[in-house]
Amino acid sequence: MTHHATRGRSDGAPLARRDLVRIGGLSALGLGLGDVLGWERLARSEKRSGTGQRASSCILIWLDGGPSHIETWDPKPEAPIEVRGPLESITTRLPGVQLSECLQRTATIMDRLAVVRSVTSPLGEHNFGTHYLMTGYRPSAALAYPTIGATVAQTTTRRPVLPPNIAIPKLTGKISGNGYLPTSTRPFAVGGNPGKPGFQVRDLDFYKGLDIDRLGRRRRIVEAFDRFEQAQAASSAAGNTDLERAYNLVASEEARQAFRLSDEPAKLRQRYGNGNSLGQGCLLARRLVERGVRFVTVTSSGWDTHQDILKLKERFPTDRNALIPSLDRALSALVGDLGDRGMLEKTLVVVMGEFGRTPKINARGGRDHWPGVFSVLLAGGGVRGGQIVGQSDAQGESPAESPVTPADLATTIYTLLGIDPATELHTVDGRPVRVAPDGARVVKSLIG
Amino acid sequence: MLTPRRSFLARVMAVFAAACVALSPGGDTLAEDGRDRETTATVDFENDLIPVFTRFGCNTGACHGAAIGRGGFKLSLFGSNPDADHEAIVHELEGARVNLARPTESLLVLKPTESITHGGGQRFGTDHEAAQLITGWIRQGTRRQALKSLVRVQVTPRRRVVESLDQTVTITATAHYSDGSRRDVTSLAVLIPEDSSAVSVKPGSGRVRISRRGRHIVVVRFLTEVVPVELLVPLREQPVDLSLAPSRGFIDDEILKTLATLRLEPAPACDDATFLRRVTLDLTGRLPTPTEARSFLANRRDGKRVELVERLLASDAFTEYWTLQFARLLRIRPQARDTQGAETYHRWLARQVGRKTGLDRLARELVLGTGDSHEVGPANFYRATNDPRKQAELASEFFMGTRLRCANCHDHPLDRWTQDDYHGLAAIFARIETGRVIRPKPSGRVIHPRTLEVAGRRIPGQPEMPDTSADGLKRLANWLTHPDNPYFARAMVNRLWKSMMGRGLVEPADDFRDTNPPTHPRLLDRLASDFVEHEYHIRHTLKQIAISHAYARVASPRPDQPTDDRFHSHAIRESLEPEVLADALADVLGISERYGELPDGTRAVTLINPKTPSLTLEILGRCDREISCESSLAPTDGLPRQLHLLNGPLINARLSAPGSRLALLLKAKRSPHQIIDTFFVAALGRHPRPREMQFLDAELLRSPGAEGRREFLEDFVWSLLSCREFLTNH
Repeated sequence: MTHHATRGRSDGAPLARRDLVRIGGLSALGLGLGDVLGWERLARSEKRSGTGQRASSCILIWLDGGPSHIETWDPKPEAPIEVRGPLESITTRLPGVQLSECLQRTATIMDRLAVVRSVTSPLGEHNFGTHYLMTGYRPSAALAYPTIGATVAQTTTRRPVLPPNIAIPKLTGKISGNGYLPTSTRPFAVGGNPGKPGFQVRDLDFYKGLDIDRLGRRRRIVEAFDRFEQAQAASSAAGNTDLERAYNLVASEEARQAFRLSDEPAKLRQRYGNGNSLGQGCLLARRLVERGVRFVTVTSSGWDTHQDILKLKERFPTDRNALIPSLDRALSALVGDLGDRGMLEKTLVVVMGEFGRTPKINARGGRDHWPGVFSVLLAGGGVRGGQIVGQSDAQGESPAESPVTPADLATTIYTLLGIDPATELHTVDGRPVRVAPDGARVVKSLIG
Repeated sequence: MLTPRRSFLARVMAVFAAACVALSPGGDTLAEDGRDRETTATVDFENDLIPVFTRFGCNTGACHGAAIGRGGFKLSLFGSNPDADHEAIVHELEGARVNLARPTESLLVLKPTESITHGGGQRFGTDHEAAQLITGWIRQGTRRQALKSLVRVQVTPRRRVVESLDQTVTITATAHYSDGSRRDVTSLAVLIPEDSSAVSVKPGSGRVRISRRGRHIVVVRFLTEVVPVELLVPLREQPVDLSLAPSRGFIDDEILKTLATLRLEPAPACDDATFLRRVTLDLTGRLPTPTEARSFLANRRDGKRVELVERLLASDAFTEYWTLQFARLLRIRPQARDTQGAETYHRWLARQVGRKTGLDRLARELVLGTGDSHEVGPANFYRATNDPRKQAELASEFFMGTRLRCANCHDHPLDRWTQDDYHGLAAIFARIETGRVIRPKPSGRVIHPRTLEVAGRRIPGQPEMPDTSADGLKRLANWLTHPDNPYFARAMVNRLWKSMMGRGLVEPADDFRDTNPPTHPRLLDRLASDFVEHEYHIRHTLKQIAISHAYARVASPRPDQPTDDRFHSHAIRESLEPEVLADALADVLGISERYGELPDGTRAVTLINPKTPSLTLEILGRCDREISCESSLAPTDGLPRQLHLLNGPLINARLSAPGSRLALLLKAKRSPHQIIDTFFVAALGRHPRPREMQFLDAELLRSPGAEGRREFLEDFVWSLLSCREFLTNH
């Protein structure tokens, strides 16, 4: 490992040599050991102020393109039609709280959900917004920041068979994922479409004509060749850990099973949305989290609704798989399923996209980019459900109270996952960088 | 009255403390109570006070030295901008940081002593001399005083060989000022070991203790000056006698000298098969063909290795491979919707490499390239970026091996470069108009972010050019390619060295910096001057390296030797680059890879566009050349890559496909032994050893029948292509 959290030193353990090279290389940018100690002190004092792990895993449902807040979590039934839009709103289990008409199932479990309706960002461009929401940092030309999932992978010390950071089917193309961290922290992308009947993870299933015996033979021959060569050279060298990990993943019936959606009862698959890629992706995420994976991103695309906002509800008569109904089914099934299994307390679920949509419907019946205010939903993992945090104004244009920045959100997510937001990681040239930006706050009311 | 060993800070204190104060011998502890003492000596803001901020880490990048400051208080990084610091301390926050009426109640003292809450904790106690120095300065009226300016810091020793561990070395730092005075500033200098698990520092004392054998660097910082100190502890107690070790010139001489100092014994010379494969890969990016391998192994003539090196240097494959190396460094890639420029650029580069153009001429043509980039290859140098600052970064990286980019926002904290250098170089490039046609743009300017005025043009480290001069680029080209230029030749030979030897003498190769000294300074100097003497010809230098004994050692350290990853007591194994590996796989399997629409048989090393569609190259982790490729050649996540190799089509689909090497051998009814031997020679450039054959025989026995044998051979070939010996240049 070449990147370590500086705070790893607080136990008094020596840093690995390469870290020190980095610190030396840059202490430059300025960290003498004295500073490290100072930071530890700071970090400890923040710790006293009450952080601590609540969630062991996180499922991020990423609505790629920027979901309309007004058509989902923050309807404006009192507003004029050009703001209100074509969708009705419905009451929920929480008195006085309404959601869009497409979120009927979700409405019945509002007591387990928290919606932040006052998220605000200045960045209305897809790549920038994605970077801000996924990393907690505004994008900078000087440094690409890692996504929360990559940071989680970097700070996870256990190395089980399954990778710690997984994306279903893959991460949005708007961000690299690992930022300044090693590429090994990028999410393992399962690829394909989980909604399709024959869904498989790329390269996890045997290539035509291969079986576990042949892979075992290959591994055996490679190991023998490497061993002979070492003996020949009278040297010692580490084994091929990648081959070992890949083989173990392929060989481990349990690990491969993690990806096998067909093992789920038909009824449950239906609950998540039969044949629906977001729904089945959420089901797969649950299977992975159940097996100890720490961060799973489920990506749903198509939320960039510049025209015809109604398509979010229905693309053709009898359509059951339009985006919002799919989300409604997938999210309610996921939260319900996690709850049924007693996993909700330890699993943080976050639903967000890179920004919201303009308060006024445009000439093409759609809404354009609007980062001024939008909503993010959280559940489980120590989040106090049954509440609305913050408010947008009557038009859904800006926060009316308690504005929350994407940096605050990231800080809160790290805190829930037991990662001190002040933890420092190091860039390739040794610059220490906090996992969440300095000055961002935990949204305290979210933590129950 | 003071001994010379006493620190400068102690002296300042001693002077301005009217009462005589008992100082401990080390000067570490101070008067218990200096609060009411009258100060007589004037505290110099720049030379007395700022060093205290640096010494206690206040103005580091992690604290108030960060670009946005911290807790609302911003200091310049390591005190590089005393005016701004004075302003921040005395005038910001309506002057609340200093309390002239009650100096000891100033925020500037209360915070670092943690008398009130301080995010950075307690930096020193209220009775520490630093606190007293600050209150003394406030009492005197917080003047922005610089009685003199720092000229340089002299550090001794700069290099020291220490016989044994746990011995203390004392490093002293002496500041030389503009008024001719000198002061011992050891107690204020910050000593930063590159590896603090091996070297411990007693803050303020100049004393360091080495707890691990080897070569260690300690960077000494005083104000904005940084000086590296090299400390060596031999890796073993027993001296080694290398006087009889064979040498083929200055490369071996220098390498052996360092090995002797460190008491490392060189590993034995590698065998012919290893040498052939290594040097063929390093010089041409290819595996030796089976024919070459057989004839080289059978050749008994002396001097066959030198002949081989000369043959490789003269080959077309050499030109293809080294064109790729330079294309990567120059980040040759198509611009949006324009592939013509990159193609012209690449063809021009290939021609220069093929014609043995000296790198000095290459550099001149790049810097001075103008015209239609579709027709003039080197003009595309100015299309790699779209901004004069980015161009300055690319140029400093490529021509000087230096990361000037830190000096965009602040003076480089670990090097000599200032913001004036950075924006001055950018200002030179601003006088070029980019786009498809590259032409002079006399009106081009850049704004200096600190002064907010037009930045003057300046070659790094040189005086500013007169505004009227029209030949900024010519001056830059002349300066770079002057035989005395201290950067260009060194940066280039370091890359050649790294490419052959697996590790740069300066590492990373694009990070030449005052505080990152070469492992073998004298060798780097000699390589550079030899390169200049031989008209900057890469083939000359590559040959010198390839025929040295240092190059031809086995890759594995002797088990009785201490670990060595940089002194070249043994060869360093490198993984094959993505393009080289893709070609090698195709060559061994006997079926070439398709790259986009390019004709069948196109080799990966010849691809011009780093984004040519290819799942194989994506999986193997090629560099997209959007940013520097020098430190980012690390392979992609190993797991998907290995999964793909194991279960994906990259190798599997070609193992015994029609026309593949294996299919042809099976069709020709070759025996398993013959097939195994053929693949060993193709992949590793050698025949299988008896032990390997025995092992494979045992495996083969478990696979009866023609189908079983075919499957076994497929698995054998797959494994051969996944073993360490194949994947590296061992």
